[in-house]
Amino acid sequence: MYDFIGKRFPRHDGFIKAAGLAEFTFDVEVPGMLYGRIFKSPYAFAKVGRIDTSLAESMGAVVLTPDDVPDVLFNPRLVSIEEDTFKDWRVLTKTPRYVGEPIAAVAAPTEDSAQRALEALRVEFEEVYEPILDPFEATSPGARQIHARIMRGRRWVEVRSNVGAELRYSEGDLEAEERRSSVIVDRRFHVPRRYHAQLEPKGAVCKIEPDGTLTAWTTTQTIHNTKIMISQVYGIPMNRIDVRKVPIGGGFGSGIHTNLVTLIAVGLCLKAGRPVKLVLTREDDMVHDHVSFEFYMRIRAGATREGEITFGEMENTVDMGAHQVQAYPLLGASLGWFVSLYKWRALRYYGRAVYTNKVPSCAIRGYGAPEVTWAVETVVDEMAEELKMDPVEFRLKNYRGRGEIFWGQGPTVRSVIRSDGVPELMAKCSELIEWKKRGDPKSKTGRFRRGIGVGRGFHTSGAGGPLSGAVIDYSGAIVKLNEDGTVDYITALQDHGGGTLDAHAKIIAEELKVPPSRIRIVWSGTATTVYDVCTHASRGVFVGGEAARRAAAEVRRKILEYAARMLDAVNPEALRVTYDKELDDAVIFVEGAPEKRISLGEVARIAWQRNWGSISASVSYRATVAPPSFTVYFVEVEVDTETGVVRPIRVVAGADVGTVISPELAAGQLHGGFAIGWSWATGDEVVYLRDGTPAHRLSMTDYKIPTVLDLPDDENFTVVFASTHEPFGPFGAKGLGESASNPVVAAVANAIYNAIGVRFYEIPITPERILRALKGGG
Amino acid sequence: MRVRFKLNGTLVEVEVEPHETLLNVLRDGLKIKSVKYGCGVGECGACTVILDGRPVTSCLVMAAKVDGSEVLTPDYIARTELGKRVVDAMLDEGAIQCGYCSPGFLTTIYAAILKGIRDPEAMKRALLGNLCRCTGYVNIMKAVKRLLESL
Repeated sequence: MYDFIGKRFPRHDGFIKAAGLAEFTFDVEVPGMLYGRIFKSPYAFAKVGRIDTSLAESMGAVVLTPDDVPDVLFNPRLVSIEEDTFKDWRVLTKTPRYVGEPIAAVAAPTEDSAQRALEALRVEFEEVYEPILDPFEATSPGARQIHARIMRGRRWVEVRSNVGAELRYSEGDLEAEERRSSVIVDRRFHVPRRYHAQLEPKGAVCKIEPDGTLTAWTTTQTIHNTKIMISQVYGIPMNRIDVRKVPIGGGFGSGIHTNLVTLIAVGLCLKAGRPVKLVLTREDDMVHDHVSFEFYMRIRAGATREGEITFGEMENTVDMGAHQVQAYPLLGASLGWFVSLYKWRALRYYGRAVYTNKVPSCAIRGYGAPEVTWAVETVVDEMAEELKMDPVEFRLKNYRGRGEIFWGQGPTVRSVIRSDGVPELMAKCSELIEWKKRGDPKSKTGRFRRGIGVGRGFHTSGAGGPLSGAVIDYSGAIVKLNEDGTVDYITALQDHGGGTLDAHAKIIAEELKVPPSRIRIVWSGTATTVYDVCTHASRGVFVGGEAARRAAAEVRRKILEYAARMLDAVNPEALRVTYDKELDDAVIFVEGAPEKRISLGEVARIAWQRNWGSISASVSYRATVAPPSFTVYFVEVEVDTETGVVRPIRVVAGADVGTVISPELAAGQLHGGFAIGWSWATGDEVVYLRDGTPAHRLSMTDYKIPTVLDLPDDENFTVVFASTHEPFGPFGAKGLGESASNPVVAAVANAIYNAIGVRFYEIPITPERILRALKGGG
Repeated sequence: MRVRFKLNGTLVEVEVEPHETLLNVLRDGLKIKSVKYGCGVGECGACTVILDGRPVTSCLVMAAKVDGSEVLTPDYIARTELGKRVVDAMLDEGAIQCGYCSPGFLTTIYAAILKGIRDPEAMKRALLGNLCRCTGYVNIMKAVKRLLESL
């Protein structure tokens, strides 16, 4: 049915990436640039006194102190509307609130001289306070205030008990629903802070052009929000900033906001009047720059004897570290994940984000969904067991599917579900893993025990909706036809590596009937693109792809107008467009009149020669829905009861992404989604010492992520796509990036339970925890 | 000190500091950006190069020690006949996502094949030092198997 969608094409940036020729931020060099280094706080909570810069300056370095940067409070992530944005950050601080918080920075002609200048800085600390590392200690009476007041939008708000943001919500008659429940499960869950471990550390390169424009290259998931952030902090007009899009060596949420390196590099660049490159070492990146939120959840839920879910209650204390990277919308999204998983007849939610003296937390793939899904899917499994119902049947009976109201990204982002592949996926995947033969934990003996678990989840495709709401979400695309019929596609949207932009190219190809090889995805910047909010919320294909399709449709309309004139057709409606394999180009023709045909290349050439003008389109697009992309994971694990080591045996991953645009790349999202989920379930954890220093000081040996030997290979990994079509998506497509990982922890934990009969309410489920639990008799 | 070595088939001579690593000299001095910085302490494999036939993490090699040696980097390997086949297999199987670790994988796979490795399990052991956070290694191993079968 399609010429290009669903077919395999080598990705446009594949060769340059494999050969190492793709230019990442780390690879950008500008003539005459200085190298920057950051002076980071050695204390988790302190007050800076005098900063003596004389020695460093006498060595020829440019030094940036808190007095050199604008005294502006900000939130580095721009996604909520202004009134719902909590601001408590400064570029450089005199009151460091976590180990590693930037106090000053230097720039010098070489990395060595920059390091020497950094070591020559003398920073006095007037006071050093006892750090508060635990959110419950932070909220207890008498705890020292980490922030006295912060800004919400443009007004000051007092911070009480170190609670930076709160959200309450309720619906229905919870007490009545509780009374009619015959099963109630009440559990507490803990998810630690996790490091993203993206392969490229954060960095930025800045340059002031001769006309005064600031050009910046940075490891960001959003070039336009980076532009706005720089403008808001430094007061530079937005048309005097060009943030260039460069490949990013992995995101996973770590570049969803404007990392401080970028703002510090801009400060150094402005002060020095010279280009500056500021890149983090791996240690800086993992110890001081970014980490996930930490969750303490309590879930109470009930069901009737007939297996109908009645009520759900969730308490959510989020340890967000020393500053807010949009913790408030996280509270809303956590509620959204909870609400949209199952049909609670009544619900109650209380969420709070608490300050502690640790590295500020930011989004990690799923934005709370993997954490909430794990907790809910554990409780749901337990309820099914108590009711003696098949966990798959219990889920199918109660999940929120087609026709239901759905608000994954929070209370203000609502829409109705129109495509739903859950029943199909559950049926196919459970059969593939041989669900019915999984056995009871009590029946399993011996040293090595195998178990099969299920996890079901979803993610939204973007954060659009029919009403404007509290979240900004729209995208843009420019498509232009060259004078030989080739196409340039210009977008601000960042591709983290999932192949989002290749999907866009196929969407444009399908609309124009031009092969993807004739479409160039142009590396661009904020000056040459229209606004795109960010590559997050799994919106790249659904929102960005639809923007691209609309721009291509506009171009197609103009092509047909020109072709109608050239072919003497009565009007453009008389024309058809097809892909001609021999010409490897689109051909426009009049049905039934074989001589009336012309290639797109000819249309473009003739239009140029006759001075008809260029064909192009610029589109800004807001999606009015954010449909769920559903995923289902069935995982088989093997637990070594002597060592506590868990090994993945088989994975069956089912995904409802609507139309599959790039099968091998979409499968890649599920492979990678499983990998990071497995990592969270079994290993990832950032631990802090009492002084607020992260314990994983060195590098990726201390913080080990899975290797090729730790994960299943293709023979043991089956991917199933549902045969659905999303009416609002480009050619029926939905998102995938985050739904690919959201139910993984749940499936793994449920599989471990099925193997050894022990439920864990704290991740990672390490060998130590397994052995302790087995010793305790399960 | 001056160091002379063969870089991608061409003799080069560079002035290096005693404490400089091969990674720094390649990236900063010789502008070979295909060798990526990922960790600087030999744990991620993004900076893998081939030194006298062996894959090594160039961040752990002192530049002074490569005097008289032969070094191959990913940008060069990708253009050799065997290197092209490795890249094509990676492209066909969707083994490349963000692409930051990919040159390291290309280099390690290339070196392992030259060393005579033909068994996928042995290849996994060879790739133990190359970390990837995007792919779960599934499509990378698919590419490897396809390639090994074609040799």
